[in-house]
Order: sequence, then C-alpha cells, then structure tokens
Amino acid sequence: MRQGMTRREFVKKGLTIVAMGATAPSFLARTALALNNPWDLAQVQSRPGVPDERILVVIQMGGGNDGLNTVIPFSDDAYYRARPTLAVPAKDVLRLTEATGFHPSLAALRDLYDRGAVAVIQGVGYPNPSRSHFRSMEIWHTADPEGRVVRYGWIGRYFDSKCPVCEQPTVGVNAGPSLPLAMQASSGQGIALQTPQTFQWMPSQRGIGAEQEWDLFRLLNAPGSSASGEPDTIDFLRHTAMNAVLSSERVREAVGKYRGGVEYPNSRLGASLKLIAQMIAGHLPTKVYYAHMTGFDTHAAQRGAHEALLRELAEAVAAFLRDLEVQGNASRVLGLAFSEFGRRVAENGSGGTDHGTAAPLLLFGQGLKGGLYGQQPSLTDLVDGDMKHAIDFRSVYATVLERWLGADPAAILGAPFERVPFV
Amino acid sequence: MAEPLLRAFRPSAANPWDAAKAAHLLHRAGLGGPPEEVQRLLALGVEAAVDELLNYERIPDLTEAVEFSELRRAYADAFALRRAGGSDQARRDLQGRINRLQREKLQEVRIWWMARLVATPRPLQEKMVLFWHGLLVSGFPDVQNPEFLYMQNHLFRRQATGNFKQLVLEVSRDPAMLTYLDNNSNRKGKPNENYARELLELFTLGVGHYTEQDIREAARAFTGWTLRPTPSGEFEFFFNAGQHDDGPKTFLGRRGPFDGADIIDIIFEQPAAARWLPRRLFEYLVYLQPEEHLVDELARIFRRENFEVRPLLRALLTSEVFYSPRTRRSQVKSPVELVVGTARALRMPPTAAAALLLAADRMGQMLLMPPNVGGWPRGRAWVTTATILERYNLGSLITEGRMPGLPPRLLETIRPVEVTGLVPPTARTAGEVLAAIMDRLLPGAAMDQKRQFALWRALGANRASDPVEATPQRVRSVLHLLMSMPEYQLT
Repeated sequence: MRQGMTRREFVKKGLTIVAMGATAPSFLARTALALNNPWDLAQVQSRPGVPDERILVVIQMGGGNDGLNTVIPFSDDAYYRARPTLAVPAKDVLRLTEATGFHPSLAALRDLYDRGAVAVIQGVGYPNPSRSHFRSMEIWHTADPEGRVVRYGWIGRYFDSKCPVCEQPTVGVNAGPSLPLAMQASSGQGIALQTPQTFQWMPSQRGIGAEQEWDLFRLLNAPGSSASGEPDTIDFLRHTAMNAVLSSERVREAVGKYRGGVEYPNSRLGASLKLIAQMIAGHLPTKVYYAHMTGFDTHAAQRGAHEALLRELAEAVAAFLRDLEVQGNASRVLGLAFSEFGRRVAENGSGGTDHGTAAPLLLFGQGLKGGLYGQQPSLTDLVDGDMKHAIDFRSVYATVLERWLGADPAAILGAPFERVPFV
Repeated sequence: MAEPLLRAFRPSAANPWDAAKAAHLLHRAGLGGPPEEVQRLLALGVEAAVDELLNYERIPDLTEAVEFSELRRAYADAFALRRAGGSDQARRDLQGRINRLQREKLQEVRIWWMARLVATPRPLQEKMVLFWHGLLVSGFPDVQNPEFLYMQNHLFRRQATGNFKQLVLEVSRDPAMLTYLDNNSNRKGKPNENYARELLELFTLGVGHYTEQDIREAARAFTGWTLRPTPSGEFEFFFNAGQHDDGPKTFLGRRGPFDGADIIDIIFEQPAAARWLPRRLFEYLVYLQPEEHLVDELARIFRRENFEVRPLLRALLTSEVFYSPRTRRSQVKSPVELVVGTARALRMPPTAAAALLLAADRMGQMLLMPPNVGGWPRGRAWVTTATILERYNLGSLITEGRMPGLPPRLLETIRPVEVTGLVPPTARTAGEVLAAIMDRLLPGAAMDQKRQFALWRALGANRASDPVEATPQRVRSVLHLLMSMPEYQLT
C-alpha cells in the first residue's frame, strides 16, 4: 500500500518547495535543510564531556500534586495533626530515611530508588508563589516567575540555543495533541502527535490519484504570499503543516523499528511513555519528550483518586525504564516529573486539599545520582497555611540544562542558579 | 491602519455590505452555512441580518430531547439499596450498570449537541452555548452524571444572550458546576476553596483583582450551597443551612455575614467585572487581545445595560471593527467551528453528528469534556503538528467517509457528500467550477495565483478559461485539497 512517499522522495520534494517560494520564511528553509542533517551530522556539538545522544523526558502532573502525600514526612506530628483523614499512617509509608518515605502507591518507584535510579528534590518552588493553576503552570513552563514577557518556554529556549539536532522539527516531541508552552521555540521546532497511525495526511482514494494529490498538496501548503487570511497565521499554519508532513513519515518509520516485549500499564501515561520508548528505540533525532498526566487537582475525595494517580505514575515509569534497559538506551534518558504547585498542609472538609505551594520534584533514570536532595519545608512555619520553598525550580532546570544537556543555563534562564548535584 | 472603532459600520460605495461581509457575519456570529444563506443575509442588509441572528426567539427551535429515565431509575435503586443495606455484590452490580449507563448517556448527549450545532435554525444561540461552555466550564469525568451536563447545556441555551450576573448566580447553583468545582462538599468550618477561586479567577474578575484572603472568605460564603437527590433519581440545588457559615466575612473590602449571592453582588460592583466578559466575548467573536479602549467602551455599555449580554453582542456585531480587514479571515476556527461549518456549508444531515463529534475530539475539542477549568485553547494554540493533520483529514471524512483514528463502525454512519451536486451545470470552465466550490467552502476568500493553479490542475486544467468536466473524482480531490489548506482553517 502506498500512503505517502518515501523519505528520499520527500527530501527531494521538500527542497523543491523551499526553492519555489521566493519569500520563504527562514524557518521553512531551515526545516527543509534539516532533512540533510540527521543525528550523526549534528552541526553544533554540545559542551565537551556531555554526550550528544542524551534525552530528557518531562512528565507534567497537571492540577497540583499533593507533595505531602507523595514524599511523606512521617516522623512529623504536624503532618498528622494537619491531616486527620488524609495522612498516611507511618507504618504504611515506604521509608527512604528515618523521617521521609514514599506513599505506598509508589512501590514501583521505591524499587528504582533503591537501585539509585530516582532522585527526590524536596521543597521545590519559587518566590511569591501563585496558586492559580494557569499562572503557576505558565511560570514553570517559561521559568519566569517575575512575569517578564517571555513568549517561549524553557525547553524551547534550549532548542533556540542551537543544541544538537535542534534544526529538526522532531527535536521536541509531545505525546498528545497540544504543544506545551515549555517546548515552544522561536525557531518553531517541536512537534505533537497522538498516535503514529493518525499522524499522517490521507489523500483521496477515489480522487485524481494519490500521487498527484500529494504533489498539489505540497503546492497548496508551500510558503509564499497569500491572498486571503492573516499572513502571520497563514505562515504559522504552513510551517506547522510542513513540519507535520516531514515528521510523520520519520516517526512512523522510527516506531516501526520497535520490538516491544515490555508490558506497560493500561493508563494514559503508560501509553504515552510507551510511544516515547518506541521513538527512542527508532533513534528519532529528539532531545526532549513530553508526556502528560491530569487529575491532581484533588479538592475533594482525594484519597482514592490520588492513590490511583501515584500508582499510574510509578508503574508507567517503571515499565518505561525497563523498556529502555531492554533497548540498551537506559543511560541516555533522564526523566523529570513536576507539578505546578503542591497543596495546602491542612486538609479541607471535603476529604481533599486546596491549592498550596512547595512540593517535591521527582527525577528518574540510570544516569543520575539517586537519593534525597533539599529538605522538607517546616509544616508549622507557614505563610498563609502553605510551606516555604527550599529550592528554586530553576536550580533543577539549570542542573538539567548544564549537566545533562550540555547547554548554558544562565543564557537560557536569564540568571545564574545553584545546581543540585543529582547529575 | 485606522484605529479600530466600535462605532456602527455604515456601508458605503468604498466599503459596501457585500457577500464577503455577510459570510463573515454568518461564520463569526453563527456557525456558517451554504451560499444561499450568505445571499439571504446579504439581501437583508447588515442591520436586519444582525437583528435576525440576535432575535432568534422568533424562529422555532429544535425540540428533540435526551431521555434519562433509565439512569434516574438506576440512581434511585442505588439510594434504596444503600438505605436497605444490600449485599456488596448487589451494590457492585448496580454500580457497574450505572457506570455503563453514564458513559452511554454522555455519548448520547454529546452527539445530541453536535446534531443541534449542525441543524439549528438559531445559530447565534448555539454559538453562545458553546461560548458559555468554554467560559463557565464543567465537564466529564469530574461530573459523572451526564444529565447534569445536559441540564447545564440547557441553562446556557436559556441564558445564551441574557443577563450575565444572573447566569453567574444560576451557574453557582447548577448541579454540574456544584459537582465540578466541589462546592457540593463545601462545609462550614473547613471550607473548600475550589469554586470561590475559579469564580474570581476565571469567571468574573481575573488574576490581580482579588487576594488569597478574598478567596478564603468567598469560600466561606458559599458553604452549604449543595445538591440533594429527589426520590425520582434527579438532583436539585439545596441550601444546607446547617453547613453554612453565617459569620461575618471580609470580601473585597466589604464586611458582613455574606452568603454566595452577596459575594456575586460585590463581585459585580468591581470595575474589573464589567471588563471581564466584554473582553472574553470580543476575543471569541472578533480577535484576540483587543485594544484597551475597545474594552473600556464595551465595559461602559455592559454596566449601563446592567450586565445584559444582548446589547453587547449587538454593539460588537454592528461595529466597524467587526467588519474591518483586520478582523476578517484572521481567526483560527475551533475544531467544532471547523466541522460544524463544513457540515452546514455542505448541508450534511444531523445523522453525521456521531462521526463529526469524534473528528472534533481528535482535533482537540471534546464537547462536554474540556481539558480543564480554564476551558479550550484559543487562536493558534488549536493548531499543532498533530491537530493540523487531523483537521486536514476532515476532507477525507466528508468526501469518502474515511479518517484515520475513527472506528469503522462509526464511519459506516456517515454518508459521503454527493460531490457532483455542488457544481452547477452552468459552470463549464476550471475557473467557474472552482469559483462555485470556493463560494461554498471559502466564501469571501481570495486565492493567490499559485494555489489557484494547483486547484485547476486537480480539475485537469491549466488555466481558468480551460473547459473542464467536473467528474466526481476531480471534485472530490478539489474539496479534499481545499480543506487541506491553511486558508480553510481560518474564518
């Protein structure tokens, strides 16, 4: 069956498109040129000592994860006083130290922790915390709590800093339909996809013929002037369409190489991480993958819902790392799981918790130095009922950017931040 | 470019009321339609066309309703079982049945709404229901009972162009909202802040116009606003005085033993409340990030009219800025606008709703299942590499009943458009055939030479004047290609 065209054909035709459009925006020219710039020919090397094949996987825990019931200060009476119905009994906590342990639903992560493949950064937050989901998420995505006008994300700015393979649309891949602000770059690189099967344009079966339709499709989506429609938006749509068509075949080709054999839990995160593992197996030229969980906004009846979410996280991550090990890619991948804020220390009257501030952040992978970093913020010395953060999240980003991805964090984050020695 | 103005659009020889502007009105204030509809609005003139869209009560509404008796009976059985202390097995069985019914009914309600969007003779009303659903957000699975979402949908329809303050009060007592933002368990002594926060942040004022303390106090005022089941398996708003905190509260600088209705009164005394909805409405119907002087003017109208929505709509839809070149063809269609507009332009029957619904789902807009309390994306955020291919594949769904990701049993329900009927027999050249198709799918849009050439090629021609035979194959390809263009994504 002939659905699209071969990569070679597209290289040829993609370049033709650019040649045709006299006014091709530079990003389109870059997209086409990038086809001749596969992984091993990366024009820009990262700093010495940091291997170029490293990958970052970000998991967004949307809604505000209850950090206190994730990494639990089980020796602190204040925890039990503040949470008469929601506190996890000390005997059930999976102990990491004399004072701190995982929620019992994180059993799969506890095994990884014991093998040095999980780092927990405690008390992560930022000054003057916002308790709005949208504002706080924006702050985490832009790494800009001061609210300067930042249009691109922290990962997008890393792409713009000319990382290896940054000329490729697939330098960043989001599992799911949206492109997170964190990944938005001035170069317009970074793609989103739902499933490889649906990530393709389908020409008519009973039309003038697939080959001719493809040719005309490319003409209709080529850069150039437009007689109708707001020109910037039309350019953006053409650029997106072209990135999609360019990446579509590559992604499906990469995923086709995946052998499988590792069983993933039947969950949204499980499916996303499996898709990411497939693309890693196929050596897609990608530096950052992004996956989503939602449902952490547990204002009411938190107990069962939060337990299920933590289990989904732990089991999907464990399967993912197992898969990477089988593939021989385990040392290439660092995972980072974050949420826009933690929750209030005291529970409310609905068996839930309202929006809070500082919370732990989780990192995983064979390439990191596992353990506990930072410290649990006091549960009695509070501001408006919420904890004071101990570590700025941008310190975590700075560490990842410098020591994992080999980039210059001060240039990307706009200021120097201390490193956290998990890499 | 001239400063955008809210003053009334007065057609002139240089800037006439023409088919392009009539089509613009039909798409922005309505849900699109076939060329005959554009011609009708054109003949009415701008004032009468806006009046007709706005005063939709004169047009008989669709009457089809969704039936919930089976689900209600199952809920009633569950209460009875709980009271009687039935066995665990019996409870589990009943819960399983309820879960299944909830899923089936939810899908039925979603399809019902899509069919309405496709067939309604009152497009502006339905467009406003979509607006309210995206502003005063509730959704599955946080709201498990699909009847709640159905009732809320009717509330939005009843108040589509009514009084915003009244709507905020009604939505604060609405079962779907009470469940979605947990106010149904907001109790005296240990308040739940969820509703109070989003009411201030997302529904009425916006970040920066209240403090964390205001949220806590507002949450106290809404304690005891909850739901109760009726013996028939329905639910209704219930003020539980025993759970209401009637102590004094300090909210936005005022002090008193406020309840939720007082909080809403105080909110609407704030200057920010008069600006919030006009800005959102402008962004929905005109363009994103309006100039502040336009918001100021709309806020004045809104306050003067005591928060009635219809005068705001009239001011917007008759304004110079609404018909300006800056506004026209600048907006990215939402997935629902894209699929519904296509269906209406091609006069597809409402039986296509199930497939259209899933197509919009795949493009990122799942009716009654919004991504979070912030509602839908807007503008360019609708379009990613993932969704642009789904959007482009809509052409294939319409012309051939095929689309990747849609289950085959569903595709059987959609009847591909009879493509040859779209080209009048008088159209004999490539230019005439393309003009007829553009008139239907991209009314008011022009196409540059290069793209026109590509579409003539699909008709087997090289020039506009070349005589062509509009075979089904060719017309199918032209339709699909036209819908696989950036220009088709804009309105």
